[in-house]
Amino acid sequence: MLFPTIDFALFFAFSFALVWGLNSYNTLKKVVLLALSLAFYASWNWRFLLLLLASGAISYFVGLYVDAGARRPFRRLALGLGVALDLGILGYFKYLDFFIAQVLTLAHALGLNPSIDFVNVTLPVAISFLTFHAISYIVDVYRGRLASSRSPLDIVLYISFFPHLVAGPIVRAHEFLPQLASPRRAGDFSFSENMLLILGGLFKKMVVANYLAVRFVDPVFTDPSQFSRFDLIVAVYAYAIQIYADFSAYTDIAIGVAALLGYRFPQNFNQPYRALGIGDFWRRWHMTLSNWLRDYLYVPLGGNRHGAFATARNLMLTMLLGGLWHGANWTFLIWGAMHGGALVVDHAWRRSAAFARFGAGPIARIVDWAVTFHFVCFAWLFFRAPSLDAATQFLAGVWSDNGAPNTMPMIVLPLIACGALTQMVPPQTRGAIGAVLDNRGPLLQTAFGFALLYIIVVMSPSASAPFIYFQF
Amino acid sequence: MTPPPQRPASATSPWSWARVVYAVLALTAFCFSGAMADWLDERNAGGWLAAPLALARGVDAASAAVGVKGVGEGLRKWFARAVGESDT
Repeated sequence: MLFPTIDFALFFAFSFALVWGLNSYNTLKKVVLLALSLAFYASWNWRFLLLLLASGAISYFVGLYVDAGARRPFRRLALGLGVALDLGILGYFKYLDFFIAQVLTLAHALGLNPSIDFVNVTLPVAISFLTFHAISYIVDVYRGRLASSRSPLDIVLYISFFPHLVAGPIVRAHEFLPQLASPRRAGDFSFSENMLLILGGLFKKMVVANYLAVRFVDPVFTDPSQFSRFDLIVAVYAYAIQIYADFSAYTDIAIGVAALLGYRFPQNFNQPYRALGIGDFWRRWHMTLSNWLRDYLYVPLGGNRHGAFATARNLMLTMLLGGLWHGANWTFLIWGAMHGGALVVDHAWRRSAAFARFGAGPIARIVDWAVTFHFVCFAWLFFRAPSLDAATQFLAGVWSDNGAPNTMPMIVLPLIACGALTQMVPPQTRGAIGAVLDNRGPLLQTAFGFALLYIIVVMSPSASAPFIYFQF
Repeated sequence: MTPPPQRPASATSPWSWARVVYAVLALTAFCFSGAMADWLDERNAGGWLAAPLALARGVDAASAAVGVKGVGEGLRKWFARAVGESDT
């Protein structure tokens, strides 16, 4: 049940009235929200509900034991066990076959022929996001950032809450659990602003991302040898816009839906392609993942506290693991390594005397933006390519033009411009329009919302591409 | 996400929100009524959606009768042609 579908529209319409109807009965409301979230998850594969509940149970019991206020013995060991269990589940479903394939490749290279079978398990939807939420809770409780929850209902609801379940944003336990303590007030949120957030997300996904994927990016990346050098180069930039439109659309809709149900999620994107430097890019792109990696990986590794070499090592390790999190494929590892290397260079450059002298001028800023943007686009090539061979083939096509005619559809450049424009509009604009609409009453809100949705449906293509982050 | 100060009561009531949400969804379903009927039809293998399907077909017929459905379909086809979509 993906967001831009009739299934989800009906599911949301049903959930909306039910949740607000039970707002005075907080426990019952949470039970209903959990049931809705489990139904949402079961719409993909009900067999994995057990996994969701197991993850909740691990978090609940480990959280109770490692609570910083409880002063129990072996807290650190219990935390390590909890994290290992969470990562073990993720590793089994997501990485075991990849690991076996690497072992077999190495063994064959050494002339050995071991008998190891692939496990061939179905990858459960949302397993990565589920693991991040579970680890966030037990580590924050261990660190004393929040007290362990006595309510298993709250913990399972935190992990499984349907707006963030499939593709984030990654909501930290200390941000979400306090919101479950008491009934929410609709007055805490701007209805129109969140309606605009959802409709903007639908436009980015249903029009920009779908057209770019279906009409151009997918065919080019499926068989780059059939396309000209020009097509290949444009496809890289088109993918940069597609992945932004696709992923930011998902999180915008998730944030808007959660707000309309009375829960606040953190921002996940902040005009990422305006970044000046790779460090700045990661403060703007998938911000909740960046913060998660910083707090639960980079800082525990030592962060920047032990000199230049250790900082570079920690940045590389963090980004390599961040890359691997996206999928069990060498392309993601290379993508992570490229960003890790770029972060190391960026870190050193911004602390250098040369940067202090030349880095702040307008020309330096333009160069900074251009280098960052083009590097990010180049790295997306590896992220999008289905395999390392495919990425190499793509680069070979760019290097030596095969003479194929240019086949880029006319719609691609306006879509790239439109997608770029959606990320240039400051978030405050939506807040300002939302405030005006909130004050004009339901009739204008309805007319405005309907007009925008009508335009989106008219413009959306008949074919649709799945959400990119759905697979992670 | 910060709500503006001194908003009217209608802006802070979830039931006012509900009116807008349901009105927007209902109007869109009426304008593109064929999609709703098709969606129900695809899921009606066991026949247990017969009543909502009959309702959706009634809405579809009403939408076609007043010309709303035709406008929506026409605009979709026009836009698809304009951007070079050949399969619609």
